[in-house]
Order: sequence, then C-alpha cells, then structure tokens
Amino acid sequence: MGRTLAQKVLERTSGRTGLAPGTIVEATPDFSYSHDYAAWAIDAFEKMGATRVHRPERIAVCFDHGIPPNSARDANSLKRVRDFVKKHGFAQFYEAGTGVAHQVMVEQGWIVPGSLSICNDSHACSGGSVGALALAVGETEIGFLWAIDRLWFRVPVTRKMVLHGRLRPGVYAKDLMLVIAKQLGVLGALYEILEFHGEGVKTLSVSERFTLCNMATEVGAKGGVFPHDEVTAKFMAGRAKFAFEPVHSDPDAEFVAEMHFDLDTLEPMVALPGREDYGVPVSEVAGQHIDQVFIGSCTNARADDLAIAANILRGRKVHPGIRLIVTPASRQAELDALRSGDMEALVEAGAILMPSGCGVCAGTHQGVSADGERCLSTSNRNMPGRMGNVKSEILLCSPATAAASAIAGCIADPREAA
Amino acid sequence: MPIAPIEGTAAVFGDHVSADSVLPARHSFLPPEQMAEQVLMDVGPEANRKVRTHAVIVAGEAFGYGTGRESPSRALRAAGVRAVIARSFSRLFFRNALNNGIVVIQCPALAAMPVQDGDPITVSLDEGRVHWKGQSFDFPPMSGVVSEIVEAGNLINYGRALLAKAAAGNGA
Ligand code: SF4
Repeated sequence: MGRTLAQKVLERTSGRTGLAPGTIVEATPDFSYSHDYAAWAIDAFEKMGATRVHRPERIAVCFDHGIPPNSARDANSLKRVRDFVKKHGFAQFYEAGTGVAHQVMVEQGWIVPGSLSICNDSHACSGGSVGALALAVGETEIGFLWAIDRLWFRVPVTRKMVLHGRLRPGVYAKDLMLVIAKQLGVLGALYEILEFHGEGVKTLSVSERFTLCNMATEVGAKGGVFPHDEVTAKFMAGRAKFAFEPVHSDPDAEFVAEMHFDLDTLEPMVALPGREDYGVPVSEVAGQHIDQVFIGSCTNARADDLAIAANILRGRKVHPGIRLIVTPASRQAELDALRSGDMEALVEAGAILMPSGCGVCAGTHQGVSADGERCLSTSNRNMPGRMGNVKSEILLCSPATAAASAIAGCIADPREAA
Repeated sequence: MPIAPIEGTAAVFGDHVSADSVLPARHSFLPPEQMAEQVLMDVGPEANRKVRTHAVIVAGEAFGYGTGRESPSRALRAAGVRAVIARSFSRLFFRNALNNGIVVIQCPALAAMPVQDGDPITVSLDEGRVHWKGQSFDFPPMSGVVSEIVEAGNLINYGRALLAKAAAGNGA
C-alpha cells in the first residue's frame, strides 16, 4: 500500500515506519515558530523546570497579534518574549510590523517543502502552500517542544481535492475555499489533510495556495497541502533557509475521500455571518447593507490581494457609509504595494492603513464594529464575536468582492466593478 | 495506574460553541480568576454561571472549534470544568483542553440524550464509560502518550516528570 505525503513526513520525523492512520506518534519537527503567545510557551517551559531550549537554530518568533501593544501588560509580555528569544539564541526574531507570522515564515523561506512545520496557532496550516506538513498545536505544547524536543501527533487520513480548469476573472482562491467550506461544513474534514491535485493547481500561485491551506482549519482539517511542483520550485529558489527534499504521496496511496471542483464554473462567494460554511454566491446577497470592509489577515492581504483591490478602487472613492481598513499581511507585501502604486490607490480611495500584522482580524486590536453593524472581511473566520463584538456580524469574501463592496456601500459583485 | 473517575454535574450546551465565544482573544492574557469571570460571557451570563457551578460540560457538535488559542481551555479550567463530553471536537480544542487538565470525551451517544443542567455525571476513564441516570455510554479509551498526559494531570506535569527522569538518568 502506498503512503501519503503526511504519512511519509511523520514517519521520517518520528523515526517509525508503516504508520497507519490513527496511530499516535511522537515526532520532532524540522522547524517551529511562535508569535506573541510565545509568552504562554515560556510560562510552560519555566513551570516544567526546563532550562535548555532544544535546537534553537530551528525556532523563530514573529510578533503579530497585538502590535504595537495597547497596554503596559501587553508590552511587558512582549518584552518577556524578546528577552527569552535573545537569551536562548533562537534562529530568528521578527519584531512587530514584520507581518503575520504565517506569512513571514513562508515568505522568508523558513518553511520548506517536505518538512514538518509547527506553530501554536490554528492557521499554522498555511505552510502547506509550499508543500510542507504544517500543523498547529497549543502554546503549552510549544514550551514542551522547546524543553523535550518532540510532540505527539495522530497520523491523519488524507482527502484528495482535485481541481479542474481555471478560475474566471473576478473569481479567486477565496471563492473556491468558501465553496469547499460550504460543501464540507466546519468540521467536515476533521483530522484530515486536504491534499490538492489536478491540472487546476498549476494555475494557482503560492499566494493563492496559501489562502486555501490557511482555511483548511475552517473545515476542521489538520492541514492542507499543495505537493511540491514547478510553482513551488520557482517560489523556493533563493528563498529556502534549509535544504529540503520534496515529498509526494505515492500513486497508490489511499485517500479517505476525493472531491472535484471545476474552477471555471465557480462564482464569487460571500460567507454569511456566523459560520465559515454559510457561503452563498454574491449574486444572492448583492445590495445587502455593510458598515465596514476589512482587507487584511493571513488569508488575503498579500501583494497580489492588495493589487486586486487596488485595481478596483483606483481612481474611485470608498462609499461615505463605509470604513475600509487595509492591513497588509507583511511588510514585504506592504513594500511591494507601495512600490507598485497599489497602496497609493488604496489610500487615495479612502482606506485606513494599519500596521502589518493581525490587526483587526482577531478582535484584539482596533477596528471593532458597533452593535448591529456588519463587517465584510477577507479574513478566515466569521463566528460571533471573532472581531471583538459579539453583537456585530462578519461576512467573508475575496479582496475583489471586498473592494467592489467598499465602493458600492453594500455587498457588490466584483465582476461588475471592473 | 488507575485514574480516579471524574464526578460532577452537567452544564449543557448545544452545537457549534466556538472557542472564540468560550473566551475572546482580547481576554487571553487575563489572570485565571478574571478568565473564569469572562468565560462564555459572549454566549451569556447564564452560560458563564453554568460552567462555574457544574464541572462537566455536555455539548453537541464541534465544541470549541475555531481558534487554536489555548486561553479558552485555560478559562474553562479556571472556572472549574474537569471534563467536556460532546458529539465532536476540533483537534486543537481536544489538544488544548487535555493539556490543561480537562478530560475531553467524544461520546455521541451521551450527547444525544436529554441531559439537563445539574444532572450528575460520572466519567470513568479506566472503563471508557460515562454514567448518567443509571445508564452508561462507551467511549474509545485513550492510549499511549495521550493517556500519560491525562494521568499526569496536564502537559506541564507530564513535561516536568520527563525532565526529572532525564536528569536522574544523566546523573546515574
Ligand atoms: S491574521 Fe487573523 S487568522 Fe491570521 S494569524 Fe493573525 S489573528 Fe490569526
């Protein structure tokens, strides 16, 4: 019986062979990273009585969640992490403003094809965009990993996601993801790896693959992965921090299920408030009231996303009834958008530019909506209260739909705005 | 080593209570007592009161799904919750709760019963069985490192014991 990519990576990192799905193994990741919440990992590390961090050359930290800090308490917590990172000689520390950790680690080449990458954040799965098995754990587990150098994992089953054709103008990876979420439901792929195949994958950039892998967790999956191909190879060239060996599922590997998507037939989608699987075609909700538009988060705020939004907003104005908040996923994305003139177009149209990081996404840091208001967001989660006010609502969409709607002052079809 | 059964009364919830509504991100860095005051307040004050009086949560589908932050689990533990029994869980809530000393049990059979707030419930980990109103419901037993973490009480205790063992080994 052939083995899947996930099985192979877990066999190599656990030193075991013949791992059947469901087996619990203890594995040593190739790389791990953390963000502001490393403070909890430090707590755990110290409470365990640990003194030495294992393989600090394979660990990075990037501040993103609550930056620049809102309070003395948060500032002190960040300082504690900074001091710890320095003391233990971590491979890399990215100060506040570098970007969202998931984006930064892929962008800077820390996550490489075929590797096991770990982070204490549910969107760690984003690393699958470059062919890694990228898994999320808790904060205490990061402290445990530093101290003990291994973590337990359940060997997952893999679901084959076969993409056909090519997305039409105005339709993006996010729309595909909202269709996937609608079909699977919020726990529909529980404990599974979503592995993307089919000739359609060649048409998707690493950034678009990132959007899809990022939201694998929104269908309960353990991760998503685009196996290494020419697109990955080109992206990794001159970027990879470590030597790597791409890993692929065997041709006779067993998949738990297979789903097919015709990219040509997809339409722009909007996920209605409350759950990520409440997607509907934009045509069904066009004209509906919104108060705020957020183009940001690790899901959809890279240079290509900002360019898509800028191309719609250029020379136009954000509707007076709308606040448009733009938070680039990383400083690099922000620089690219500045140099290309896309950022100028966004700001001129009336966007509020926020420092690169998580910002508005998790509701910890500015941009909270009022009671009864609705925020249309390019982020990944819309459950009640996610953005800081349980009495406001969140809808999810692509950067194109977000930009078109910011101009219209209500939900709008991006294909009509171009 | 046998693990003592968990006895408590039930706090009943429905489907799809997200981890963000168990404890929103903005409360992640509160001290435990204040976390306990905030836990499930987004669902409502009644939900908060419930988990602070009853140690066993009984829920439907996907309890704790969404964010992988650990603070929702910490908040539940601070409120006195010792076990969560539900139809299904997201994998991160499963890990985080377990690592913070809350036993997580997938038991669709019990989740389907008309359990009421305050009903006495006993969870026997050794038997792999939940007891409610004279009936019992099986759940798959935990194994290997997962049961070792449960036995140790939480991941920190487990890690501390491993480090102590390693230190003793090196010294010998
Ligand atoms: S941008 Fe949002 S989803 Fe991404 S890591 Fe930050 S808080 Fe999480």
